[in-house]
Amino acid sequence: MRPATSILLLTTATGFGFGLLAWLGAYATLGLLPPAARVLLAAGITVSLIFASFGLAASVFHLERKERAWRAFTQWQSSWLSREGVAAVLIYPVAIAFGVAFWRDGQSLWVRLLGATTLIGSLGTVYCTAMIYASLKPVRQWHNAHTAPDYLLYALFSGAVLFAALRTVVLGAPGAMASVAAGMAAVAFVAKRAYWRHIDQQAPLATLAAAIGMPNGKARALDAPHFSENFILRQMGFTIARRHAARLRRLALGIGFALPLLLEGMASLAVAPRASTLLAFACAALGLLIERWLFFGEATHVSALYYGRRV
Amino acid sequence: MTMLPERAPGAKKFGLVIDLDTCVGCHACAVNCKEWNTGGEAGILPDYDQYGAQPDGVWFNRIHSYETEEGGCSRTVNLPRSCLHCEDALCVTVCPTGASYKRVEDGIVLVDTDKCIGCQLCAWACPYGARELDEKAGVMRKCTLCIDRIHDENLPPAEREPACVATCPARARHFGDLADPESEVSKLLEARGGLDLLSDLGYRPTNKYLPPRRATIPSAPAPAPSPDGKGLGAALLKLLDKALSR
Repeated sequence: MRPATSILLLTTATGFGFGLLAWLGAYATLGLLPPAARVLLAAGITVSLIFASFGLAASVFHLERKERAWRAFTQWQSSWLSREGVAAVLIYPVAIAFGVAFWRDGQSLWVRLLGATTLIGSLGTVYCTAMIYASLKPVRQWHNAHTAPDYLLYALFSGAVLFAALRTVVLGAPGAMASVAAGMAAVAFVAKRAYWRHIDQQAPLATLAAAIGMPNGKARALDAPHFSENFILRQMGFTIARRHAARLRRLALGIGFALPLLLEGMASLAVAPRASTLLAFACAALGLLIERWLFFGEATHVSALYYGRRV
Repeated sequence: MTMLPERAPGAKKFGLVIDLDTCVGCHACAVNCKEWNTGGEAGILPDYDQYGAQPDGVWFNRIHSYETEEGGCSRTVNLPRSCLHCEDALCVTVCPTGASYKRVEDGIVLVDTDKCIGCQLCAWACPYGARELDEKAGVMRKCTLCIDRIHDENLPPAEREPACVATCPARARHFGDLADPESEVSKLLEARGGLDLLSDLGYRPTNKYLPPRRATIPSAPAPAPSPDGKGLGAALLKLLDKALSR
């Protein structure tokens, strides 16, 4: 599948934004926000909504008819894309009310309730995004049990890294967030390895012979319907050489997960916390963009089979 | 509304039955489809760079040719590929705007181009590659089963069939109501056995393919590999080959 820049930015940036919101909500739900954290929470909600807005704005650039984008909010009964849009918009007033309530009253029952709603809403939005891909039966690399939990894990990982950096900037130290982020980096690392193992061992959805109704025969594409690439081949026939994929996988693991693990570990031991957490955030952002590029670039669509391509 | 409609009792199920045994791969159906749909109700089907080096454009119907072998016999199979108007059409349910829909009265899957935002998710959801982006209008396009012909009461009844069916010189394409067991297409399926493309994916396509009949003339055996590396002649040739490939 062709990795479109707009979708890479959408899924990565909303992962950071909603991931951070989820952690803020979790802290409030558990009553762990100290009364002195007013500025931190206000900054956290602002930063997370900026990330989410950047991602959602990028997604609009994927649309051919941007002026009709509002129509995408109407079909939430059947469409995960529509649900993502509705959930993403609903989370804004909740998150803002959560921040305002804490600013005014400090920890209270209302803050706990709004924090819990923010936590569920932000993870719910990420889940909707993941299900857009996980529900597509023609793409075996997406339609599997890894996609949805992985998206949630990467959002929680990126949110933790962002939270650790923000807490260090605002309060001078990352607190427990550095250890949490390091732990999430380790979990995300393992999850990504498990996903790649899974798609590497998966059987193709069909063979060409089976796709043209000769399951016991052999088939080879002789003449294509057209000589030049068309929309289907540009979108669905996108392939990446195994050699390049292997190199990018190493880069994604190293920059996206291993380096943040190391840097957050350093920060949790109070070794240059500001530089470590900020660098960890930069690494995670770059690594997750590479990881997301591969999520699309390595995915194959069964329709390309009719053109004799490997799926 | 992108929820799939409940099938009403007695509703029609219009679709195509395509005979892979008689299709000669002439592309006439694709050409007539393009011709009809670029001027009919569906409006212009765009072309890009049509006189240049990389001509491209939107087509509702595309014809593939395959070399196949089964049971020691080989043959060419031509496969026209277009929208199959599936009963479980994922392209409809993924649509966030309601532009994609399946008609209750005859099961035809259509795009309302006034509502489509061109997010292209429906194209990703279709395993048959049947939906293409109109890059000039920024909306998705697909086979309409020539809805403006089959329901046009100004046409003589015999002509109320899709352009691809009307033009097929090998009579490999048949149009009719697949919900009616007495229709010609249902009888054809009964006699020949219908084939669902990629049936394992569970889209339950309406369009069926009649499988190619088993070839009975065995293919000629593959030529034996030439003896290599034996005798003076082969040694000389090898030397020559080495010298020339430098």
